[in-house]
Amino acid sequence: MMNCEEFELRGLDIDRADADPTEVAAAVQHAQLCGRCSAMLESWREVKGDLRLLRESTLLDAAPARVEMRLKQELRTRREARVPRSAVVVASWALAAAAVLVASIGWLQTHRKAERSVVSSSNAGQTGNILQSASNYEDDGMLLAADYDSASFTQLPASLPSASGDESILEVRMQRGALERFGLPVDPDRASEFVDVDFLVGEDGQPQAVRLHRDSQVMTATQ
Amino acid sequence: MKTPDEKPEALLKRAVRGDEQAFLTLYQKHQSALYRYALRMTGSPWAAEEVVQEVFLVLIREPQKYRAERGELGAFLYGVARNRVMKQLERTPRELSLDIMNADGSAWNEPEDPLTPMMIAEKRERMEQVREAVLGLPAEFREAVVLCELEEMSYEEAASACGCPIGTIRSRLHRGRALLLAKLELLRDAPRRASAGAK
Repeated sequence: MMNCEEFELRGLDIDRADADPTEVAAAVQHAQLCGRCSAMLESWREVKGDLRLLRESTLLDAAPARVEMRLKQELRTRREARVPRSAVVVASWALAAAAVLVASIGWLQTHRKAERSVVSSSNAGQTGNILQSASNYEDDGMLLAADYDSASFTQLPASLPSASGDESILEVRMQRGALERFGLPVDPDRASEFVDVDFLVGEDGQPQAVRLHRDSQVMTATQ
Repeated sequence: MKTPDEKPEALLKRAVRGDEQAFLTLYQKHQSALYRYALRMTGSPWAAEEVVQEVFLVLIREPQKYRAERGELGAFLYGVARNRVMKQLERTPRELSLDIMNADGSAWNEPEDPLTPMMIAEKRERMEQVREAVLGLPAEFREAVVLCELEEMSYEEAASACGCPIGTIRSRLHRGRALLLAKLELLRDAPRRASAGAK
């Protein structure tokens, strides 16, 4: 059984679809016994009728079509704005891929060049020793021939082997006497002879090692 | 492309990617209720229009704000609309239009009804009184009346839309009803008292 206070709180819900059936029964019972609450219920039902009328009269109310148009426009603008952004993303990925490709090709070329270049730091050290041990020989032709046979270059005095392995080979024909300028011992009697020489030139453009061609050696030997 | 039972989340995802049809499906489903709510809360068709537009702009621009695990999309949209309505009411508390108007701002026309002109006039006057009384309620009580009585939402739905417990909604509705009853009783009794005084 409901009292007046409870009826004020929940009694006016008796016409609601989601009202608790137990509470509805209690409220109806209370309204039958209490004149004040019964009058309040009647007044509320009258107001509820007015509210329903208001609801029905505005049931078909909707936002004007211009709102939908504005929203559609906004949606299109955003969609169009998204397209260049995706293009930028694609372009940046393509650029990155191209950079990787270029780097790979560069690395491969460097690697091949390094393979072609015979000099390594250990070999350079070895030839350095040879040079030192052979420096006692007066005949520079013999020295260079020995270097040729070992299929490697002779490190020039006062030059250090390059660590980067980025050297290049320069083939020149020159007078034997010119080798003296690179710190090599030359027989003054044969200084005017022409010989074919390979220079190993470092990154800095300075010759690091030298190699005498076989035919030059032969020519030298026969002389 | 569009399936009738497609979930709102899926529709929203498509809409955000720029699928206009998906967006329109969501818009058509929710705009009318949101517009009525805003109109009943503000009393101004212009304000209601702005509220609906802003709600859906939020959906377009910041779709990540809606999280399906927190509740239904409809409740989320009501929540956004509610914030906008409250801001609108704070901005222009005294600019409430009390006239009954159509959505386009034109004067409201009584639907065709087999009533005499006198009865129609009385009915219209009565509806204006009810409308005025609802608009005159404090915002929180008005909201409870609009959602639970005019939109006929369940307490649970109204609580979800307002983001408050069911008990709060019931309490606000109770206060709103009491105020509404008092206002309308006064308005109803005024002509009676006037006619009794004339006698």
